[in-house]
Amino acid sequence: MNAPSASAMVQLQAVTKRYGEFEALHSIDLSIAKGEFVTLLGPSGSGKSTLLNLIAGMIMPSSGRIIIDGRDTTTLPTNRRGLGMVFQNYALMPHMTVFENIAFPLQVRGLPKDEIRRKVTGVLDLIQLGHVAGRKPRELSGGQQQRVSLARCIVYNPALILMDEPLGALDKKLREQMQLEIKRLHAELGITMLYVTHDQDEALTMSDRIVLMNGGRIEQQGQPDTLYFKPETVFSAEFIGSSNLIPGEIAAGEGGTVTLKTALGAFPVPAPDRPFKPGERGVLLVRPENMTLTDRADSTSIAGRIEDSILLGGVVRHFVRCTDGSTVIVQELNQPGRAGARRDETVRASWTLDHARLLPSPPTR
Amino acid sequence: MTSSSTATGASGLGPWSAIVLLAPLTVLMFAILLYPLGLTLWTSLYDGQLSLRAYAELASSTLFLKVLRNTFEIAITGTLVSLVFGYPVAMHLAAQPPRRRTACLVMVMLPFWTSILVKSFALVAVFGNQGLLNQLLGFLSGGQINLPMMFNRVGVVLGMINFLLPFMILSILGSLLALDRRLILAAETMGAGSLRIFWKIILPLSMPGVVAGVLINVTLSIGMYITPALLGGRQDMMVANLVDFYTRQTLDWTAASATAMALLAISGLLVAMLGRVRGGLSGGPA
Amino acid sequence: MNPLFGSSDVARRIVTVAAWLCYLFLLIPSLIVVPISFGNSGQIEFPPREFSLGLYRQFFTDPAWWGSMVQSLLVAVATTVIALLLAVPAAYALARSELPGRGLLRGLFMMPMLVPVIVLGLGLYLQFSNWGLLDTTAGVVLAHVMLTTPYIMISVMSGLQHSDIALETVASIMGASRRVVFFRVVLPQLGPAIAVGALFAFLMSLDEVVVAYFLTGTDAMTLPVKMYSSIRWELTPVLAAVSTLLTVLSLLIALGIIALQRKTEAHS
Repeated sequence: MNAPSASAMVQLQAVTKRYGEFEALHSIDLSIAKGEFVTLLGPSGSGKSTLLNLIAGMIMPSSGRIIIDGRDTTTLPTNRRGLGMVFQNYALMPHMTVFENIAFPLQVRGLPKDEIRRKVTGVLDLIQLGHVAGRKPRELSGGQQQRVSLARCIVYNPALILMDEPLGALDKKLREQMQLEIKRLHAELGITMLYVTHDQDEALTMSDRIVLMNGGRIEQQGQPDTLYFKPETVFSAEFIGSSNLIPGEIAAGEGGTVTLKTALGAFPVPAPDRPFKPGERGVLLVRPENMTLTDRADSTSIAGRIEDSILLGGVVRHFVRCTDGSTVIVQELNQPGRAGARRDETVRASWTLDHARLLPSPPTR
Repeated sequence: MTSSSTATGASGLGPWSAIVLLAPLTVLMFAILLYPLGLTLWTSLYDGQLSLRAYAELASSTLFLKVLRNTFEIAITGTLVSLVFGYPVAMHLAAQPPRRRTACLVMVMLPFWTSILVKSFALVAVFGNQGLLNQLLGFLSGGQINLPMMFNRVGVVLGMINFLLPFMILSILGSLLALDRRLILAAETMGAGSLRIFWKIILPLSMPGVVAGVLINVTLSIGMYITPALLGGRQDMMVANLVDFYTRQTLDWTAASATAMALLAISGLLVAMLGRVRGGLSGGPA
Repeated sequence: MNPLFGSSDVARRIVTVAAWLCYLFLLIPSLIVVPISFGNSGQIEFPPREFSLGLYRQFFTDPAWWGSMVQSLLVAVATTVIALLLAVPAAYALARSELPGRGLLRGLFMMPMLVPVIVLGLGLYLQFSNWGLLDTTAGVVLAHVMLTTPYIMISVMSGLQHSDIALETVASIMGASRRVVFFRVVLPQLGPAIAVGALFAFLMSLDEVVVAYFLTGTDAMTLPVKMYSSIRWELTPVLAAVSTLLTVLSLLIALGIIALQRKTEAHS
């Protein structure tokens, strides 16, 4: 998905933002292709909102360049960047009706009245809110307000729509509905979108590409399933999905496999793509859903005792206490007669070699 | 390529726009506020040559000292009376259900919105020698009793508290409404009588409002001009009236200026104290 | 139900009696002028023996009274307009810029509230006698603008604090220039706050005595100055009519301000 720069809508080149001594963003390079849906995912303080504000022009970078649609916009004022933005609190003008709110950016652009009316009516139909055109925003529900705020962006066809946690104020059900709606609009209109969230599920559902941020840097970026199945760091693995992590020391390997010596025994792991040396620290990752409970002892299993099992509807989570006191989580499909009643049972949590992944040991902070 | 990181955000205002928007009012404040204050200071110091003579004369002037004593006496009396009466009013207001409280507050706020001249005129009509109250007293006593309540110290204090009460009441009411009623319930269940509850809980917890109210009252009354001029006698002159006296009667602008500067210093001190009490200057309309 | 007094009936009764005495004391002076104003035109009477509009007739036929009323309204309108033009942009700049020294400027703009008016009256008297502005309408208006701007600033800045800054950001992102943002996003939202400030400034200018007394003579005399001299020297019953008119006006303005404040609270 990493598009060549000619077709890039946004390019950040070595963008750094410092506040005094504190470096909020460390030399970020990022390119977003035309029509792409990119999500900035990360915990609060990871720099994702700072990055969004830099692109919007609300703050200026300490160094680096920002290129939008082929123009260097690094020092361009916000109102001349040709962007759209959707906020978590909707930011609709309380003194204007829904129609006037959507017409506002077109009036700013000096469009003739007829055309404004035609375009506003068009997007109102698109978001199926034509019947509330004459109402004030506060008479609308949260979901409706956010659709209006989206329509207000779509109507003037900006180069890029920035979304800052736009669904954060909605309840779970409405949020899922809106995710699909935003996805549909993106597919239909082909607008480039940069979406900020701290919700991994939202990122996985919606994005063409996820950019995972951590401590002012890009931790990892890629398609949702790449981030899920092939995390490159412990941070990525922990932030997206749940994970069993077992630290150890890399012993010599042969063929495509290396051995990781841990407190729970030595396990074979597929050799990572990156260069490594025997003796180096490493972490073994196995996703809970890739572990099963067996009684068969082999090299890719750990002995333990079931401490607790919790039922999560379609799946069951078993917490297995290992011999060294640590816990691994095994997630299995829920089948009649399999849940519960297994507490204190001695079992083995087992996985297959291709579901194991060797990650570098996280830097000590 | 390094651009300044002090650039303002999309909703911030650039320094030049800010300066353009702030300049007119700043110029006005320099020309119509700071300049006349500076001119007054200069007039008090310059009398052919720079000297502190005007201040030295004030310090030894029996008139000034008497007026200063008057000012403090009247300000403190007015403040104490308005505290004694304002506190029960604030308690009464705090005890009302919200709708009734609003209705009662209108009665407190009405004089707040009424011109001080209207109030002065009305107070003369009520408390004057031929006023409503004396007519009533005369009628009841068969013409025996006529209390002189206007154009003397009583008149000034009456006018003063009529002006000061709303400020005192609102200040104390703020503290009382912030008070946690459950404390009183708790004390009651433990057997405390209402007098003890008042002294041990209500009064101490409303102290911030009381202190602020007292300071506001003293600050407002120390510079009073209209009330002593219209409702007081010759003996009840306050500092503000002395400034006017020097300006109009004796045409001694140096003495007038020195007196005004003394008043400014005193009230500045009170405002600073009020600022510390409130943790900021958010003075109500005076 | 309401445990502020504990369960003591005596305490409640004492407080209630004291409170009502105060309400009467606060209320009566504002109200008693009304019946007096409809009394006999010869002297101040309460209760009036006959109903008459004579005092109002006197007020509206005597150019000294009527003229000072017109003068006061003129000064108050001019003051309000100029004070708005100066204070609203300044409040906006203080609230939305990062200019160093904002705190100092803010202090300067609030200063007229904190200096005793008599001090300002004397200073302006000294200044305007040098500048030839004594007893001119321009002089009074200038002084009143200075006195009333703090109240407009307080109202507008609190309005700005309550308005959502994201609206300005989003308008800017949608391509609106600074000017468009101010006139189409900021001003409409500030409407009630500006109106409150304006009404307050109008009323303050209309009621202001001390500075006007120092600055005006016969030519530019405002109504409060005329009232002041009248109370001081003649105590004519016409004062009751003037007072009633002023009180009604103040009341209307106060009600307007309260209604506007209710409206803004309902919005946010």
